[in-house]
Amino acid sequence: MPIDAKVVHQVAALSRLELDPAEEGRFVKELQSILAYVEQLQALDVSGIEPTSQVGSGVKTPLREDRVVPCDVREEALAQAPDRDGDYFRVPRVV
Amino acid sequence: MTHEAGREETAESIGHSVGSGAESALEVARRFVERAERTASRLGTYLHRDPEVTLAMAREVDARIAKGEKLSPLAGVPVALKDNLCTHGIPTTCGSRILEGYRPPYDAHVVERLRKAGAVITGKTNCDEFAMGSSTENSAYFPTRNPWDPERVPGGSSGGSAATVAALEAAISLGSDTGGSVRQPAAFCGVFGLKPTYGAVSRYGLVAFASSLDQIGPIARTARDVALLYNAICGRDVRDMTSRAEAKPIAVEDVERGVKGMKLGIPRDLIAEGVDPEVLASLERVAKTLAEEGATILDVTLPHARYSIATYYLIAPAEASSNLARYDGVRYGFRAKGASDLQQMYAVTRGKGFGREVRRRILLGTYALSAGYYDAYYLRAMKVRTLIRKDFTDTLARADAVLLPTTPTPPFKLGEKLDDPLAMYLNDIFSIPASLAGAPALSFPAGMTRSSLPIGMQLVGRPFDEGTLLRVARTWERRNTDALRVPPIAAGARA
Repeated sequence: MPIDAKVVHQVAALSRLELDPAEEGRFVKELQSILAYVEQLQALDVSGIEPTSQVGSGVKTPLREDRVVPCDVREEALAQAPDRDGDYFRVPRVV
Repeated sequence: MTHEAGREETAESIGHSVGSGAESALEVARRFVERAERTASRLGTYLHRDPEVTLAMAREVDARIAKGEKLSPLAGVPVALKDNLCTHGIPTTCGSRILEGYRPPYDAHVVERLRKAGAVITGKTNCDEFAMGSSTENSAYFPTRNPWDPERVPGGSSGGSAATVAALEAAISLGSDTGGSVRQPAAFCGVFGLKPTYGAVSRYGLVAFASSLDQIGPIARTARDVALLYNAICGRDVRDMTSRAEAKPIAVEDVERGVKGMKLGIPRDLIAEGVDPEVLASLERVAKTLAEEGATILDVTLPHARYSIATYYLIAPAEASSNLARYDGVRYGFRAKGASDLQQMYAVTRGKGFGREVRRRILLGTYALSAGYYDAYYLRAMKVRTLIRKDFTDTLARADAVLLPTTPTPPFKLGEKLDDPLAMYLNDIFSIPASLAGAPALSFPAGMTRSSLPIGMQLVGRPFDEGTLLRVARTWERRNTDALRVPPIAAGARA
């Protein structure tokens, strides 16, 4: 599964990351070296092994009471916006 | 009391003197602020530090005590917080440009607990951007320096939190640990650092990196101080569904009970290669001392632990690529100017807002999760994780704890590994296995190299058995006073 400039470009687009074209070559090399290192996992026999997505996931999920609690942070949250219009976040043109 | 160099000044002793009225929280806070004024900018320990806020918090604690309020053992104790813990109204940037200027509208769970306990916040500590790194050189702002040798790194990602405690700018601190980010800097700075069991501490308000691994952990200069800080933050919180009621406070007296009859396993297979001779010598000294104190030392094996780094560098970036999708320049933090449409605004904001290491991990994680590669990379890594976890379950059925170095080498120089990401990752070989297993792990100071650099040893235990790890470390600490040694940069200071 070779990684090259085209793949890095595609993955960057999927990740919504604009890369400086000068950097792409370096990322290709670094990712190649990391992926070559992780290849060692292919040598292990994992047939019949259950994946661990999270430690503790086997235990019963503790539930909380479902009740409404006030959370009045609208103004404080909106105050963080890079660009706002009244009670809305403003963004550049969508279409 | 002059507290020359603060050598004996622990969180426990401060809590006692403030609680008994021997000293006010304000006097304590002033002393720590003065120390930080002398060293913090040289060491680069803080991203945000406002003495006025610290002193105001201390006055508030004194007012609560004056009103007769019964506070915790941490009343008046100066605590530093890693900059990925949300603090209401206080900047929280995670060492990233993308969160420049962000002031959270709420406190993290652990911050709420510390405020209630009467602890006094010294500031927000420097870290690798979004906790991704092992040297604090990936901070978007400036690196942190090791108080024992400013030409060397303090470790990372919680480098600021470890260095500020070592330099006596704070009595204790909190960091976060995903693959070793509390333990490795604690080892490099000559202090204690605990990564609690996965689920022991609520992550509500901790900025997420890799959610199946992230834990918040205490950093302190004594084993007993670790217990006090752990007690203040552990337990169930409904806002983090992984947090568990099994996480109970540790009775500080129990930490004194010694190691007689305990079994400690050394994974000789894992430490066979690439370990600095002085680190190995330190391991043998610690093992010998603990044996003299009545512990039985066994050889154990963790056959899959050597696959930990490969496993981790698939799982952690995959989860990070998903967690970091929220930084889009819409609701808070940095937004790139001049984009002509929304998609371009996202891409330029993220491209400029994230540093190289973060972008590299987002790319790697997105690649590992993408169609066609998921089974070969992410799913396989999660299966290997099961094997690594089983190694610990099997080993800890025979031994009460596993003993191994925290890092293969003493602290390295700034810039030494910066251009070789894989070399930097390999430095985490001893800390990552416990992270993948979700097991509690403690790094404790285990002496110095001939050139006066700290060496850290690590204990890994059974789930929710942090108390045993502290007992073992305390037994070593009683025989050795390294933990309370003060680095030259702080030793010259007279309060």
